[in-house]
Amino acid sequence: MATAAQTKFIRPDGKDKVTGLGRYTADLTMTGMLHACFRYADHAHARIRSIDTAKARALPGVFYVMTDKDVPDVRYGPFVEDRTLFARDVVRYEGEVVAAVAATTPEIAREAAALIDVDYEPLPVVSDVEAALADGAPLVHEGWSGYSASGDVVREGNDASRSTIVKGDVDAALASADAVVKERYVADMSHAVPIEPHAAIAQWQGDRVTVWSSTQVPYIARSGVATTLEIPEGHVRIIVPHLGGGFGGKCEFHYEAHVAALARATDRPVRLVFSRSEEFFAPDHRREGQVIELETGVMNDGTLVARRGRLILDNGAYSADAPFFPQLAAMHAVGPYRIPNVSVDASLAYTNTTPSGSVRAPTAPQACWAVEQHMDSVAASIGMDPVELRRRNILKEGDTTATNQVLEPIGAAETLERAVELIGYGKALPEDEAIGVGCGWWPSFGGPSGAFVKLNGDGSGTIITGAQECGTGAVMALPILVAEELGMRPEDFSILAQDTDAGGWDAGASGSQTTFNNGRAVIEAAREVRAQLLELAEEELEASREDIELVEGAARVKGSPTKSVPITTLADKAQGDRLLLGKGSGSPPPSPDVDASGCTGRLGMETFAAPTFITHAVRVRVDRETGVCRVLEVAASHDCGVILNPVGAEGQVEGGVVMGIGMATLEGSIVGEDGRQRNPHLLDYKLQTSADAPPISIAFVDAPSPYGGPKGSKGTGEPPCVPTPGAIGNAIAQVTGARVHQLPMTPERVWAAAHGVDA
Amino acid sequence: MTRGTYLEPASLDEALRLLAEHDGAALVAGGTDLVVGTRQGKRTLPETLVAIHRLPGLDGIAEEDGALAIGALATHDAIERSELVRGRWTALADASAIVGSPATRHVATLGGNLANASPAMETGAPLVVFGAEVELRGQGGSRTVPVEGLWAGPGRTTAAAGEMITGVRVPAPADGSGSAYVRLEYRRAMEIAVVGAAALVTIGAGAVSDARVALTAVAPTIVRSPAAEGALRGREPTAEAIAAAAAAVHDAATPISDVRGSDAYRRAMIEVMARRAIDVAARRAAGEAVPIPATMTVGGTR
Repeated sequence: MATAAQTKFIRPDGKDKVTGLGRYTADLTMTGMLHACFRYADHAHARIRSIDTAKARALPGVFYVMTDKDVPDVRYGPFVEDRTLFARDVVRYEGEVVAAVAATTPEIAREAAALIDVDYEPLPVVSDVEAALADGAPLVHEGWSGYSASGDVVREGNDASRSTIVKGDVDAALASADAVVKERYVADMSHAVPIEPHAAIAQWQGDRVTVWSSTQVPYIARSGVATTLEIPEGHVRIIVPHLGGGFGGKCEFHYEAHVAALARATDRPVRLVFSRSEEFFAPDHRREGQVIELETGVMNDGTLVARRGRLILDNGAYSADAPFFPQLAAMHAVGPYRIPNVSVDASLAYTNTTPSGSVRAPTAPQACWAVEQHMDSVAASIGMDPVELRRRNILKEGDTTATNQVLEPIGAAETLERAVELIGYGKALPEDEAIGVGCGWWPSFGGPSGAFVKLNGDGSGTIITGAQECGTGAVMALPILVAEELGMRPEDFSILAQDTDAGGWDAGASGSQTTFNNGRAVIEAAREVRAQLLELAEEELEASREDIELVEGAARVKGSPTKSVPITTLADKAQGDRLLLGKGSGSPPPSPDVDASGCTGRLGMETFAAPTFITHAVRVRVDRETGVCRVLEVAASHDCGVILNPVGAEGQVEGGVVMGIGMATLEGSIVGEDGRQRNPHLLDYKLQTSADAPPISIAFVDAPSPYGGPKGSKGTGEPPCVPTPGAIGNAIAQVTGARVHQLPMTPERVWAAAHGVDA
Repeated sequence: MTRGTYLEPASLDEALRLLAEHDGAALVAGGTDLVVGTRQGKRTLPETLVAIHRLPGLDGIAEEDGALAIGALATHDAIERSELVRGRWTALADASAIVGSPATRHVATLGGNLANASPAMETGAPLVVFGAEVELRGQGGSRTVPVEGLWAGPGRTTAAAGEMITGVRVPAPADGSGSAYVRLEYRRAMEIAVVGAAALVTIGAGAVSDARVALTAVAPTIVRSPAAEGALRGREPTAEAIAAAAAAVHDAATPISDVRGSDAYRRAMIEVMARRAIDVAARRAAGEAVPIPATMTVGGTR
């Protein structure tokens, strides 16, 4: 159960944000600051014959025009080093940076960028993932085999990363199944769409640069600047002001080095702020499109016996962190079910479109959308209720996954039961409504993380952490964990974060890992402070530390509440000659054993450490005449281990559900044959509004994980957006009698499926 | 910084003088189309802006000689809330109630909506079915044009340089009339009509004595459908008659394909929207209190 401190804790950054006082990167101004603007590729695929910057440089107010020639000859990328800061010889997508301008105003910078003359030889555009992998397809990277890459990435031509999961004998099992269902689904590209677009400001002092950036991953941004500009990492400091959301779109290293290079070349601070349309087409972190083919064998009693899958994921023009996606998507193509015979083959195809990267639960909402609709089709093939089919196959403690991971105590089945109970599955509904159900799973990501905790002379505390607050409240809630260790109140602590010169290394606001890993770090740091306080209290109370507890802001002798000393007194006494300072990292939890001998392209996803299980049930109304759907009600049940911060966890579920509704019904980029996005703006890339959000009821299943984070917790940030699109797809199909095979399931697509029209 | 001139006249006469004196000057009231369009790169901001949002006396909503007189600066919020509009010119309330978001409706004006001349505008089709007239004023005097005569194409009006819209006069529908506006929308706020339809139906002695139907976002401007109107006149407003009239709108609808929908989908949907608009108008004509906005009550987004 949640403690009072957990349920009443109000995040300290909240008031500034909702009253408009919060300062974000784009709000910062430096004396003498210049403004940056990029010149993007004029084609999705073309060879650059020449770049003439003379007219741009001659424009009054322009300080510098930068191209590939002005920066070190460095290729970079987290898995495959296939990209450069500026286009070199070839442009491969519409958002590729050909040149950058620094000028006295944003308007002059834009005008100058347009004055740069670039002469191109157009090359064939690869905009379709299946065409990209066809024999004889034009190569997006002719020199792919010469790129440095992580040794585990399996690559060949336009296939940037291929992964397979094989268990048992799928052919034999399909041949002996009572029914076999084969389906094909296509998911369009979508986006993270944080409310704050990318922004960065760089300022040099001597040979050291400080970059204020809207990044989710300051330490990774620091490495990126150091690597691409060939300067020591210690000369780079990244500071993140308030971050206006990220959802993965601000993971990885983006434009910090471009701005730093311009600032160095001009001896001026330089600021870059993206427009909304740039936010859509330029950054290398959109949610990738997928083609998903599934074939499942089932017995009449509902036992799943085999799953074959072929997935092609769209990598876009460059490999950001997407090379691990095929293996992750393959795990989702199996889903949280016992299937003894599995063969999934997943590829990551280069195309001439915006690069893909981690967006909140990468690969999962799309793959789960296909798999969960497929599960309903499988149930229909044997005349079984779709919830009953899931009930008979959902993973339980002791089951083995497709990679032979033996599962610890888990609450997957409980999430199914709780969600269908909350929504009232089976109740009578109007003829234009139906309930759909979707299940999913998601791994936790253990890793290194660091923090310091200090107590100040007045008894207040400060948490100094490398963790990055993305808007989820995860960092803002760290004081709850520290206060519990020290017998203090969360509001006694301030937080110094988002500055690479201050905190310890952390992977950033990614992989649902902040509480999971940095929670462990701050608890360990707090325990050091606790030991220091107890040592001081021993002297004050003339008692042994074993007999002293820290409660209600005081150290007191157990069983003798009158024998106590306030922590403020101890802090005051310590000031000057003793530091109340703790440091912590803690060892990441152990990884469960797997036997992934049947897998190729292994990039770590064969293990689903401390997996979260999720069931969402949705009640949807469909206007059959127009195809317009409205989600009326959502019941969400999650096994995300022990809940450490109930307010934050519920916020994550609510936000994830609404994001999932958006992905399900409206959010998708329309890409032309020229490789360009046709709707890179918020009028026609339609997010859900607050008026669209339905009531959401939530049930957490408390299943502590032996491989979990602090106190048996699991990651909570990404799972909530996993199963919603699939659940909505199932509800739509029940109302209309026609399954929609393309995501997003727009009104036109729902209408077309229901009326048998090609859309 | 963008260089430009921002002028804020104190009177209508001064506004008209400034508009005439500054070549290429544009009026700005709520700014919800002008500023957003500029940020989106649809157009560059005019060098001179004449801001009229504080001009006195142009935001009235009143009955004058049996007609509805609305000043150009009346906001959608004010129109939506007006009991006068809701009672007799209901389709206009249906339309104003679904423009943008609450924030948009508090600053965006009827005059701006008309002058922006988008074929997807909400208030256009209702004003067309009511036979509204637009008052245009320049330094040389004023003139009125039927609202259908105001639009020359997407984003273009027949207003001369130096002329501004000062108000709209909307004749009262005959006794026994009901009206409605509905649009196809994909979400419940910040939406733009994919297609839309307005209907005015007058019923006498159990049959439709007069009918007008206008269509949104299926042609370069808002258009009327004479075929649909003809199919209704003299008929009892049964479901069959209404469906038959809606099926006739294709005489006027020439939709295009774009990111919001294919031409085939729009063609199918304009018929659905027309049917729903006529149906609600007929029900209102018969005295039924169908809630405003009608879109929320008859569509899948209710």
